[in-house]
Amino acid sequence: MSERNAPRDFSEIPTEIIETDILVVGGGNAGCFAAIEAKSKAPSLRVTMMEKAHISRSGATAAGMDAINTYIRTDKGETPESLVRWSRAQVGGGPIREDLALSNAQILNESVEMLEDWGLPIVKDEDGHYKLRGRFDISIQGEQLKPIMAEKAMEMGAKVYNRVAGTNLLMQDGRCVGAMGFGVRDGRFYVFRAKATIVTTGGACGIYKNYTSDYSGSHHQTWMCPFNVGTGYAMGIRAGAEMTSLEQRWVAVRTKDFSGPVDTLSVGYGCLITNARGEKVLRERYAHLGGDKAPRFVRLNAPMMEWLEGRGPVYVDTTVLDEEEAKDLREDLLNERPTFVLFLASRGIDITKEPVEIYGSDPYIVGGHTGSGFWVDINRMTTLPGLFAAGEAAGGSPNKFVGGCAAEGRLAARGALEYLASASLPEPDLTALSREKERVFAPLMRGPAFDGITPVEMEERLQRLMDEYAGGISQFYRMNEERLDYALKNVKMLQSQTQFLFAKDLHELMNAHEVIDRLDVAELLIHHLKFRKETRWPGWQTRMDYPEPNPELDCFVESRRDPGTGSVEVFTRPYQQLIPGDRTQG
Amino acid sequence: METPSSKTGLFFWDQGGRLGKALDLNWLLSKLSKTKGISCCSLLEDPWGPEGLSQVVEKVKKGELGRLLWVGRFSREQQGILKEKLAEEGLNPYLQEWCDLEEQGVCRDGLEQTARSNKALLLIQMCLARVRLLEPLAPVEIPASESLLVIGAGAAGLHAAVSLTNLGKEVHLVERQSGVGGKVASLHRFYPRLCDPRCGLEFSIQTLIDSGRARFHTLSRVVSLEGGPGNFQVRLEKRPRFVDEARCNACGECARVCPVQVGVSPDSQPQGELPGLPAAATKAIHPSLPMGFPMAYVVERQHCPPGCRECERACPSKAVGLDQEPREEELLVGAVLVTTGWDPYPLFKVEEFGYGLYPNVISNLQMEGLLGSPVEAPKEVGFIQCVGSRDERHLSYCSTVCCSVSLKQALYLKQRRPDASCYVFYQDIRSPGFQEELYQKLKDMEGVTFIRGIPSTVRPEAETGRLRLRVEDTLSGREVNLALDLLVLAGGMVPSQGSEELAQVLRLPRNSLGFFESHLQCHPEESQRTGIYVGGCSREPMGVAASIESAQHAALEALRFTGGSVLIDPRYPVVDKTKCDKCKRCMEECPFGSFYFDENEFPTPHLGRCRQCGNCVGICPLAAISLRNLTIKQMAAQIQAASASFMDGKEPTVFAFLCQNDAYHAAKAAVEEGFPVPPNVVFVKVPCAGYVNNALIADALALGIDGVLIGGCEDGQCHYVKGNQLVRKRSDDLSDKLQKMMMDRDRVRFVNLEIRDSEKYTAAIEQFVQDLRAMGPNPFKI
Amino acid sequence: MPPKVDREKCDGCKAQQEPLCEQVCPGDLMTLGEDKKAYCRMPRDCWDCMSCTKACPVGAIETRIPYQLGYHLAKLIPMMGTNTITWTCIDINGKVERFRYVNRGRLD
Repeated sequence: MSERNAPRDFSEIPTEIIETDILVVGGGNAGCFAAIEAKSKAPSLRVTMMEKAHISRSGATAAGMDAINTYIRTDKGETPESLVRWSRAQVGGGPIREDLALSNAQILNESVEMLEDWGLPIVKDEDGHYKLRGRFDISIQGEQLKPIMAEKAMEMGAKVYNRVAGTNLLMQDGRCVGAMGFGVRDGRFYVFRAKATIVTTGGACGIYKNYTSDYSGSHHQTWMCPFNVGTGYAMGIRAGAEMTSLEQRWVAVRTKDFSGPVDTLSVGYGCLITNARGEKVLRERYAHLGGDKAPRFVRLNAPMMEWLEGRGPVYVDTTVLDEEEAKDLREDLLNERPTFVLFLASRGIDITKEPVEIYGSDPYIVGGHTGSGFWVDINRMTTLPGLFAAGEAAGGSPNKFVGGCAAEGRLAARGALEYLASASLPEPDLTALSREKERVFAPLMRGPAFDGITPVEMEERLQRLMDEYAGGISQFYRMNEERLDYALKNVKMLQSQTQFLFAKDLHELMNAHEVIDRLDVAELLIHHLKFRKETRWPGWQTRMDYPEPNPELDCFVESRRDPGTGSVEVFTRPYQQLIPGDRTQG
Repeated sequence: METPSSKTGLFFWDQGGRLGKALDLNWLLSKLSKTKGISCCSLLEDPWGPEGLSQVVEKVKKGELGRLLWVGRFSREQQGILKEKLAEEGLNPYLQEWCDLEEQGVCRDGLEQTARSNKALLLIQMCLARVRLLEPLAPVEIPASESLLVIGAGAAGLHAAVSLTNLGKEVHLVERQSGVGGKVASLHRFYPRLCDPRCGLEFSIQTLIDSGRARFHTLSRVVSLEGGPGNFQVRLEKRPRFVDEARCNACGECARVCPVQVGVSPDSQPQGELPGLPAAATKAIHPSLPMGFPMAYVVERQHCPPGCRECERACPSKAVGLDQEPREEELLVGAVLVTTGWDPYPLFKVEEFGYGLYPNVISNLQMEGLLGSPVEAPKEVGFIQCVGSRDERHLSYCSTVCCSVSLKQALYLKQRRPDASCYVFYQDIRSPGFQEELYQKLKDMEGVTFIRGIPSTVRPEAETGRLRLRVEDTLSGREVNLALDLLVLAGGMVPSQGSEELAQVLRLPRNSLGFFESHLQCHPEESQRTGIYVGGCSREPMGVAASIESAQHAALEALRFTGGSVLIDPRYPVVDKTKCDKCKRCMEECPFGSFYFDENEFPTPHLGRCRQCGNCVGICPLAAISLRNLTIKQMAAQIQAASASFMDGKEPTVFAFLCQNDAYHAAKAAVEEGFPVPPNVVFVKVPCAGYVNNALIADALALGIDGVLIGGCEDGQCHYVKGNQLVRKRSDDLSDKLQKMMMDRDRVRFVNLEIRDSEKYTAAIEQFVQDLRAMGPNPFKI
Repeated sequence: MPPKVDREKCDGCKAQQEPLCEQVCPGDLMTLGEDKKAYCRMPRDCWDCMSCTKACPVGAIETRIPYQLGYHLAKLIPMMGTNTITWTCIDINGKVERFRYVNRGRLD
């Protein structure tokens, strides 16, 4: 389709202007929940969803999910506060936005139960409670998780525009009044005029190179959905929104060579991390940081340190499992990452006889897991009036995962409803629209014969640059000021060369904008990494030149790019502790 | 409609102990009364006696029961009585369900009582699973126009229109030609009375005019048809006549001054080159063809010399208007009759007899014209039968009338010229019914010779032009040499010229021969597009009388979509728009073309066009379509209930989907006739085998059922055109997948069953069970 | 080269606007070729989510592990019911394993 509908001339490009009350940019988990919440609270309002892929299988949960990592079993004595405390400890004591985390936790269970009502099978224990597999983890048979959410959003009456990629926010008089984008299949220019806009575009993958990346076949062995490229962040950055904690990168420990979930094995099935010598790594080497229950970044960094120090390969020891457990485990994997089961089969690995090898992933910016993202107020409004963020897009509150992102989608919808009660829609600024249309379609208009750069070339250049100079996996996530300066200089170079990008069809046009978005995220990310002259979360953020934490930086690092001048301002915001107690103890 | 109460009543009718003999009813009752959602579970002694249904009625009246399941053998009439009676108490008829344990063979199969009772329990639970999900339904009323459209104003169309106007309907008659009458108007005489066909046509036209309810749209064609039965929106394109019908009174002044002579259609008049025949020609402005109705002239503008307006000047009524433009007209009609008739097979394609080469070789239709003209009839005339018919190179079929036409023409020739000699060359003479009389009459007539054999060569004599031909009489084995004045070729019928275009406009399927498709036995005049009926030769070659009869039958069927409104059975399909991906397979494969795009581009079944066969349910790759009383969810719930093993886990289990038209009756009869149907099978009825969605089969296999059988009609016998073929293709795909999955592809099996194939059904199940034993248990069984 | 399309089986979803694999692919990677058969335009960009494989109505798509990562030839075949899913996994040694569970509905 995209070849057939690719326009060759500006005059061929139709503009679709859609007016709505609430626009949700990104139809993933948080987006669906935001739309459902808005429609159930205000059925007469127009809720429109803009989705780059197809809502039934888009975003991070496209393949399904085997667990919801946050659910509060109150019968076990857990409370919203205990969840926040645990979350804070998982990021080494923060800083985190406890106000956000707490409000999320308060409607978390309800949000998970909604999923069950819509048809998600959640595994129960003998007493009929959701069956725990970790402290806050419950097991689901979530192969259909995404279609279930999508169908509910449509049933509630949200109007979905599939295959429309967002390119920029629609800003007028300092307010966000919608967003713009283009049809990946129909080649149209879309303008959504909205009284309130919620961005739920997920995180950013593909800023860094992944170690299996090669030309022919395995470029996307990534933990995060590779089609989530940080477009939401980039749209905000270009409009001057304040971003928070980008330097708190998420790096996951994954199965080696084929990115499969390790938590499912280690948390869900109690398979311990062992090194080449058969030592139980966390227990024996990281007891002081909590052993098997150490914070996530420690659990990630530990296997990589083993490699670095000559004790690799590192495994999760699945040989402790019996046949039945091994089968259950693979059933869980089928729900989330079915091809990992295929991978094991293609290596001929019987996991009851052989342990599964693990390794670190490339780094991601994902606000549902760490604290990166838009700085938002308690209503999830960003610093741009009219623009709300939820899920991976919203920063400040890590460890949200599926349940927390769902809850936050709902909170953002509530915030948006409150805001739009007093918001009106100004007349569209037609020159701004035509400027954006020209910018968006420029790579396509240059034509296939243009002597320029393909999106893939630029993407590969960026990914290798970031990997080597901004602490990617080839460098065991390590960086220093000089390397960061080099990275920044070259990212700016790349930004200046986006004018040479050309696309032969609409799919490549999408790729071109994806790399443009990644560059803008990378630029601010480097500023954040440079600013935090300390090492607070080794692995996620390792400064070789400042290897220790600095108590003066026990605060949020913030940034804002001036939309007029392009200059980036980096500053801090203080941490506020609401839940008392030792911050490193969950 | 509000969601009805989920309180379910379950009532057994034991039929005087018949069920009790086979099953442990007390155990069943106690087990079922504990089932979730069952508010009342009891045994009715005599539902038809004075006390019979009172407890049920009472409970329904008080609102204690919102849905009912009847267990026992209830005839369709008895089910109707129950529906009606309880509807009076406010229970929607679609909230009741019947579970006939006997037809499933529970009472007769070889199981022990405990095992039988177990299977009975499973069957009841299957029904309950469905009952829990039933929704109240009510018929939907759609508006229906009082008008009908008849396309093709030949004998069939005119007679059908007469029948309809007699019943008070408005009729729009659409005709491509300048006048009505069609092929029949160009016949000289027709059998059996040998009267002039124009007499009957005139009579019909007069009746239509007198009724005041018929409108004639000549020089017109249908260019689009939207909507559906009850309200079709028709767009007509009308070519200019260049003569105002309202002013012209056919005085002929115009033709007298017209300077252009033109030939007319060879089908309606013989060509002028035949020796002794006058040149059949007319002016560029001439009366309506073929029989002068409407009584207005028509100009063949393409023949007019540039700038000539003689006719316009000469017309005393100022009727001629040479600057008329084509125009369009929109009509709203409830139903459409297609009576577009036939055309003669182009005989020049049959090269061996010199048609088109020698002027005295003519078609049987031209012979009608010759007989009707005042010229002297030729003396020695041959008739060759089956020219191009029953011949794979030309027409594979028999047009059924050509034998009688030649017999009729020979008879008329003999009456007109007693010294004439007729030779009929034939392979078989086909004179069905009373036409045999005509054959017998001619067979014994002097001067009429029947020769079984087809001439091999036809050559004209150089001096006289007479035709010399040689033929082998296959009865006597002798070679016959003849010289004839005229040779008449009995050619067959093909669908009329415009039918291909019309098929596109009406989206009307045609068979491989080009005739409009219908279900020839059950609904011969019903096309595959609901609300469009096909009569006469447009669907099959036939004689004039049969054609009129067929068109009138079509008119009778079409009436149901007129009359103000139509009630649609509520069991129509619905598309789940949250699941639908707009892939359009339903649009593509619906046998009746019922789907259209709604305002959001979702495919939506047109309630009038839909025949509720459920093929869309089976087709949908996302299982997003449901029949309202047989939803995908209801069916999945039944499968889930059936997956609890009823064969002690040792014997294979079979879940069968049976087409309710044929296969279901075969299964039921197998039990009634005492065939040893293995107890390993449970079945559900589906409206057509095509209902079965692969996802349902996948459910059954995933849940551990060992084999899935689909019972559908014999090839080519599906009531819904191709449901059996569609499901077969899909289940083949699934079998291929099973094979890739290292499973036996035969776990999914399609069986063709006719309505009385009880023995075949039994054998199929026996074989399946035996094969499944050999395959071993379904590997997905826990 | 993760999604491998069986060209004999693929009917391009009857060449209606978009075949189902094209509709669901989260990466906009599946598309129809000139021959009206589906193919993956950029195999390196596939995330191996198997959405296309699950969606194909005729079972024409198979997900493959790139050879750079896994040996030839293992298979994983999903079969979708209305509320169930089964998986058949065949490893490089020909060992077959099967999984089945409910993917819609409450587990009470």
